[in-house]
Amino acid sequence: MDVKNLRSLIKMITDTDITEFEMENAEEKILIKRGPDKEFIQVAAPAAVAAAPMVAPAAAPAAPAATTTAEAPVVESGETINSPIVGTFYRKPSPEADLFVEVGTIVEAGQTVCLVEAMKLFNEIEAEFKCKIVEILKDDAAPVEFGEPLFRVERL
Amino acid sequence: MMTSSLRETILQLFRETPNGFVSGAQISKTLGVSRTAVWKQIEALRELGYKIEAVPSRGYHLLEAPDLLSAEELRAGLDDSLIGSDIRVFEETDSTNAQAMVLGDTGAPEGLVVVADRQTAGKGRLGRRWLSPGGVNLYVSILLRPTVLPLEASQLTFLSAVAVCRTVAEVSGLQPTVKWPNDILLNGRKMAGLLNEMSSETDRVNHVVLGIGVNLNMPADQIPTQLRYPATSLAIEAGHPVSRLGFARSLLTQVDLLYRDYLENGARPVLSAWEAYCDWTGTMIEVDCQNLTIRGIMTGLDNDGALLVRTATGVERILAGDVRPVGS
Repeated sequence: MDVKNLRSLIKMITDTDITEFEMENAEEKILIKRGPDKEFIQVAAPAAVAAAPMVAPAAAPAAPAATTTAEAPVVESGETINSPIVGTFYRKPSPEADLFVEVGTIVEAGQTVCLVEAMKLFNEIEAEFKCKIVEILKDDAAPVEFGEPLFRVERL
Repeated sequence: MMTSSLRETILQLFRETPNGFVSGAQISKTLGVSRTAVWKQIEALRELGYKIEAVPSRGYHLLEAPDLLSAEELRAGLDDSLIGSDIRVFEETDSTNAQAMVLGDTGAPEGLVVVADRQTAGKGRLGRRWLSPGGVNLYVSILLRPTVLPLEASQLTFLSAVAVCRTVAEVSGLQPTVKWPNDILLNGRKMAGLLNEMSSETDRVNHVVLGIGVNLNMPADQIPTQLRYPATSLAIEAGHPVSRLGFARSLLTQVDLLYRDYLENGARPVLSAWEAYCDWTGTMIEVDCQNLTIRGIMTGLDNDGALLVRTATGVERILAGDVRPVGS
């Protein structure tokens, strides 16, 4: 499905009360979900694009074993910063510059966490809320898909 | 008063005087400085390239203004253009893209244009530098706020490419070609580079900056020979210098026309126009991707600007890589 159709589809759905929509055919699968406070879309890529072979994101490391204390804090898990475009993931503004963030970095809302480049368009990906970087899911210069998680974060 | 604004006031006096003659006494009185200070400023203007004659008992007379980029001169002729509704000109800045991104973050309106005479850190891809000496070339960044999805914004690289090609053709009569995704070539040598930056959220573009660097009057001995790709300038290829101001005005007008068309009719007209400037369409090319080389017939651009290459096994969508014709 091209972007224009996808956009019309999203618009069509957001104009209704539908909260979840799924469509599948030979080439692609489209899942659109809407919640009370956020919307996201996922599109399974039709086929691997011509770039380095895709590597599945490393599995999240097992959560540190809870200590025996009864009051282990409940960690809001599963929050990620995703790529809004297909492209190449960069952890630094230029090869000799410092990394934008590392595991443990606390970033403010609006702070740039990485770049994703697509056809000489450099997209500064910003944190949408204050958070701590828990895991970096992609290597520097790795190809990333639309909607693919780049960082696992802990909302602060 | 800053010396540059003293000079601006003197130039304004020249423009406002019907017969073009302004006496030293008049300038001295208007600026509140001594006759010697006036003479120094006239000398400074002459050094900038202004031709000013001094006629005894009549005063100074401006014969010719150099090809300087000023917001005032640029705006003339862009009356109802969205692009250039606000123009900021720097004599020197780090990077017009960096300036435009900052202005974009602080709410500057769509159509803002940032121009610099020279850049101290002109941006190339991956931290490479775009050579940006003063007085000869054009370094311009345009702020847009298109209502498209972030993943569609890569189409805008092709929009600026087509705008540059049309301007080169209009100004010089030469026929440029494009190299995917963002280089403009004359006789196989790079004469312009494009680098766009975007600030976006998941489903919304905050702003996009189109960065355009054009080698206009750079002489051959100013172009390094150790570049990744052989470079040239419009003046070298055309055989005569070109007006920076004229080129800049024409470029902003072309971007304006193409952007209006893009908002109304989508990216296909822009992508088709780009394909027509690409002389590799329909020929055998090789693309160096990170770990592999793809070889096939270039068939054109996909709707997001991805390069389509027909190989023995099917059509590949190329999103990043260095393209070259096979056999060179």
